[in-house]
Amino acid sequence: MTQLTTRSRLVRAAFVGLAATSLTLTGCSTVDPAAGGSDSGATDDGTFTLGFAVGGQPDADWQELQGDVAKGLADQRGWDFVELSNDNSEATATTNADLFIQKGVDMVMMFNGQPSANPVIAKKYEDASIPVVTFDIAQPGWYFVGVDNASAGTEGGTKLAELAQEKWDCDVDLVISAEGTAAGQINEWRTGNARTAIQETCPDIPEDNYVSYEADGNLTTSLANAPGVFAAHPDAENILVVGLNDQAVVGALQAATQLGRDGSIMGWGQDGGLITGDNVDPNLAGSVMYFLEGYPASAFEIADQIAEGNAPEVKDTGDNAAVSVKPCPVTQEQAASIPNIDERVSELASAAKGTTEHDLFCDF
Amino acid sequence: MTTLASPLFEDRPQSFRHRTLHSFNGPVGSITATLAVTLLVGLLWVGPEFFAPSNIQIVGVSVAIPLIVAVLASFALLAGVVDLSIGSMVGFGAVIFNQLVATGLNPWLVAAITIGVGVVVGLTNAFVIVYFGAEPLAVTLGMLTLLRGLSQAIVVSAPPTTLIDPLYNVTQGALLGFPTLLLIGIGITLVAAGFIGKTRVGRKVQAVGGDHRAAARAGISVTKVRVIALVISAVGASIGGILYVGQLGSASNILGTGLEFQIYAALMIGGYSITRGGVGNPLGGLLGLLVVAGITNILNIQFFDPDYLDLIVALILLAAVLVDRFRGGDEFE
Repeated sequence: MTQLTTRSRLVRAAFVGLAATSLTLTGCSTVDPAAGGSDSGATDDGTFTLGFAVGGQPDADWQELQGDVAKGLADQRGWDFVELSNDNSEATATTNADLFIQKGVDMVMMFNGQPSANPVIAKKYEDASIPVVTFDIAQPGWYFVGVDNASAGTEGGTKLAELAQEKWDCDVDLVISAEGTAAGQINEWRTGNARTAIQETCPDIPEDNYVSYEADGNLTTSLANAPGVFAAHPDAENILVVGLNDQAVVGALQAATQLGRDGSIMGWGQDGGLITGDNVDPNLAGSVMYFLEGYPASAFEIADQIAEGNAPEVKDTGDNAAVSVKPCPVTQEQAASIPNIDERVSELASAAKGTTEHDLFCDF
Repeated sequence: MTTLASPLFEDRPQSFRHRTLHSFNGPVGSITATLAVTLLVGLLWVGPEFFAPSNIQIVGVSVAIPLIVAVLASFALLAGVVDLSIGSMVGFGAVIFNQLVATGLNPWLVAAITIGVGVVVGLTNAFVIVYFGAEPLAVTLGMLTLLRGLSQAIVVSAPPTTLIDPLYNVTQGALLGFPTLLLIGIGITLVAAGFIGKTRVGRKVQAVGGDHRAAARAGISVTKVRVIALVISAVGASIGGILYVGQLGSASNILGTGLEFQIYAALMIGGYSITRGGVGNPLGGLLGLLVVAGITNILNIQFFDPDYLDLIVALILLAAVLVDRFRGGDEFE
């Protein structure tokens, strides 16, 4: 009994001690801005070193290929190149920042699909004076490289409305918008501008015929939620679909097929993810291709200047981008003539300095 | 007063040398050897910079929160109930903390609320598992899905940024060149190890996990032990969520996804068993996490393809299971 009591006291003392120690550590703890800096791993022999963090999201081959394109371009220039994957995780993206800083890279390019930790990551890079190029998701202080989303939405909507005019004389019963509200302004630019463009080309479509639903920017969610839209409009025959991206649009098109409502439906996607290859949905009339895998080619316009010691002014928003990637609207037939993604990467790697995929493949 | 009748818990006096040798014959010994090999590989492959303060900081920062969550979740494992909802609870706790702090509430108050939510989640798991006799895997898998769904319902667009400087300093900072949060995590591990191995209550937890019928016959309240263990597990996860917000300055709706598998893989490497309660030691959990973090770090700083990481962790896990079986497997640590 005495022994047990003594043990209890010891355990209590241990808990109290742990709490006190934790508070003391908390009070004394500091974050050294230079931590992870040049005290290890950084082998600065004068060669420009580029750190590249791919997004690591599932079912997005273009993210891995962005790394391949960047490596090819860095090799062309004789730069050192190191690559990590953000693994679609904000915690991993934050650790990757520490690793790049420890490595002593001169510049970082990244796509971070989970940008909630970007302010912390930005703080780390700012403390280490490392410039960053971000693809498609803006962060104050980072060079923004991305597609002109507003223009992409307008061009996609216009092309789809022109098809509706040609085939149905603008007699459209339903315009479905497969949204991805988490994308915020980007979603509004792509889907909102597409709806506006349809309205401008086919002004007689009643306002009530425009409906939206949450597709979350992926095929699975879109396919699950779209049937409710069709059920709510049982008499609609001529149907148009726009959306945040190809996956959202194709989800709606597949739902229509499953429900037997695909007799007269056309969709126009965004990003070009599902418009090439062997299994393109027959009702996907076209898409706006961004050539996502080729973004590094645009980012190297900035990297070249930084490597020469002439860092350009930081432009860090979609409205005021450091480099605005030109969208490329293509019909399904036109897309069939565009090489597959691996061939595009290969051609881009052997193209002259400064060439983009838009230059190579958007000549219609 | 409850007494332990089982001879299982009677300590025979043993020499220090005997106890040391015995401990290295068990899973903690195996994992210590694995960690030593990992460190040696790091030293030989990466070089002295593997032990540079900046690299220790990177490893420490990445391993500290999973360590704290793992040590507290290990109580449920020891008590014979697997809590699969810890990853989602980390995410849900982080989302609640982040969203409420963003409204301007006092962070300490919000932390208390978040921990309170952890208690409620733990009690809910316990109520269904212990009082209705439901299968722990099924119940906590349901809770995993529920909490993930709630996180997604709450965070529908970009989450707010809530950089809390004192919390950031603790979770990302260092004290005398050593990651502060890892020091705290090691402290928690040592206390938990002492609690499990050296106190009567700790041994009750092991007894319940080892054979709950025998434990009940010995007068131990199986219900009480398992309820408390599940609450500790959920509270640990909610604390992990708070710490992640400190470290990352925000919380998305997918934060913590898959964390339960990383943690349980590390715990199994460290000598715990998913299918057998009563087996394992928090020190083994610490070492298991350090092994996985060490290997991850070696691959990262060599800029290796991260796809190989899962492969390597899986191989180590399989090796750990095999070693466990060759060793006999069923004895208490």
